[in-house]
Amino acid sequence: MFIPLVQNETLKILRRKRFAVVAAILFAIIALVTYSQYRRLLEQRDRNWRAEIQQRVASFQNTLRRGRINETWARSMRAEINRLQFYLDHDIEPNKPTAPLFVRTFANVAGFLLLPLLIAILGSDIVSAENAEGTDKLLLTRPVRRWKVLTAKLVTLWTFATLTLLTGGAMAYAVSAPFLPRGGWTAPTFTGFSVERGALQIDAVRQLPLWKDTLIAYGLDWFALLTVACIALLLSVLFRSSAAAIGTMLASLIGGTILTRISPDWTAGKYLFVSALPLADYYTGEPPPYDGMSMLFCIALLSAWALAATAISYMIFTRRDVFG
Amino acid sequence: MPTQATLTATSLTKIIGRKTIVDNVSFELQAGEIFGFLGPNGAGKTTTIRMLVGLIRPTAGHVTICGFDQRRQFEDAMRCVGCIVENPDLYRFMTGRENLEHFARMLRVAGSEIERVAELVSLAHRLDQRVGTYSLGMRQRLGIAQALLGDPRLLILDEPANGLDPAGIREIRELLRQLAAERDMSIFISSHLLAEIELTCDRVAIIHKGRILREGSVRELISSRREMELRVDDVARAGAIAAEHNLAYRTDTDRIWVAIEEQESPPLIAAIVQAGVNVFHAQRRTQSLEEMFLEATGGESVD
Repeated sequence: MFIPLVQNETLKILRRKRFAVVAAILFAIIALVTYSQYRRLLEQRDRNWRAEIQQRVASFQNTLRRGRINETWARSMRAEINRLQFYLDHDIEPNKPTAPLFVRTFANVAGFLLLPLLIAILGSDIVSAENAEGTDKLLLTRPVRRWKVLTAKLVTLWTFATLTLLTGGAMAYAVSAPFLPRGGWTAPTFTGFSVERGALQIDAVRQLPLWKDTLIAYGLDWFALLTVACIALLLSVLFRSSAAAIGTMLASLIGGTILTRISPDWTAGKYLFVSALPLADYYTGEPPPYDGMSMLFCIALLSAWALAATAISYMIFTRRDVFG
Repeated sequence: MPTQATLTATSLTKIIGRKTIVDNVSFELQAGEIFGFLGPNGAGKTTTIRMLVGLIRPTAGHVTICGFDQRRQFEDAMRCVGCIVENPDLYRFMTGRENLEHFARMLRVAGSEIERVAELVSLAHRLDQRVGTYSLGMRQRLGIAQALLGDPRLLILDEPANGLDPAGIREIRELLRQLAAERDMSIFISSHLLAEIELTCDRVAIIHKGRILREGSVRELISSRREMELRVDDVARAGAIAAEHNLAYRTDTDRIWVAIEEQESPPLIAAIVQAGVNVFHAQRRTQSLEEMFLEATGGESVD
């Protein structure tokens, strides 16, 4: 029964050319990064990577043999040796720019700032524009209850958030594939490193083929983006102008990121949704800015934000008086 | 339920802060009736309409449409209504057809409806252009077309004459009269133009400062407000003669207005002339809305 309503909202986003803008921004950024990766590839072409890695393995083994380091360090060193040995055994050059690796990296670097921003562009006027252009007077006087109208908008926004992520990933591959090596989906990745009390923890390290690792990273990004969509919907309900809605989203994303970097001792910051957005980074092993931010905590925090934002949106939207 | 009122507003009141925007407004519309809601800008017409269609929650009172409570049975009630509130604001970045398809999907009516309503408001030829390129008159037509989707029992139009040229106004007026007569549609029209209401409506309510001052047939409220204006050199004498004829009148320095039907005016003019008063001109005129308000509110000005 929602399909006609979702169809309406989809049509409006497409006709407003919002998604075209998002795709254009994605293309511009991805093309630029691909170029820089291509440059790096050219510079590394003449390098003898096998010799470099063999040298590093040998130096680690020397250190271990001397035995003057503590057990924690020794363990992490052995893990590193295993990792490097894997590359040598399978004749895979590590960190060599490839298209699949680029797709994987995109999930990390775009997941917490660029993609949320694009969702904000898509979502900021989904309600506010109806308000500003006066079309809400018609939209809300049809025989459809307000909560259904808002639900259609949220579902549409979720759909476009998903589409933005997929477009980003697909575009990262499509744009980089002509310039970078295309293969490498099965290359091993090691995730789950974490630093606790100054020591590298390797107990949680998992070895996965790149494609599996990529799917997990995109899944985490996807969850974060759905949360961002809920918050974008709330801002769009609260503000009449889409500029104000985009601005607020921009300010909270950037402001929140700055805050978590500058004052990590203000621990209440871990309850900001911005702190939990880089899920893909935390999954890879990037330490979260605050103690006690496990993956489970982050997911629970984002869920709570999404739920609260959605609840407030519905409360306001279904009750408020619509004036001119 | 053919005898039931199509629209009933009961004691509608809207208070915002300490300001009473709409004060205890009640009225009823029957099938096939065109009802005019007449008042100056800022009288509370649009606020009332917004309460009728559920955009604003009344502070007190309630609305019933085709027997359905507009709040509790919103979807059933609104299925009976087509409306334009304030300006005909449609999606400017979409074509006329896409706009109509958008609202047809919400109503779940067939696509053939779009051709029918576009034909009714003579907009079929511009349907595939973006609404952003439309003139105000064309947007008004598209708004009316949108309101007619699904053949509603009740039409609520806020200032439908806005932006239309005289020929367009006449065309829309004829369409509305035809819809009321042939399809038994109830039509609610708000306007600040007396002539517009007089020509289109059967019944009229006059609203001022949020309150209904008068309600009645157009004939008794407007058409009876016709009078004769005479410019004379002796206002006092002319007034005395009008009084002798048992006629109500008002005067200023060189003019006198007499409430009199056109057919009965020659004897009065003759009597005034015979009394030696020079008559420079004599003409029929309708009381303006302002004068009507002045009379109804006992001199309180319309601002």
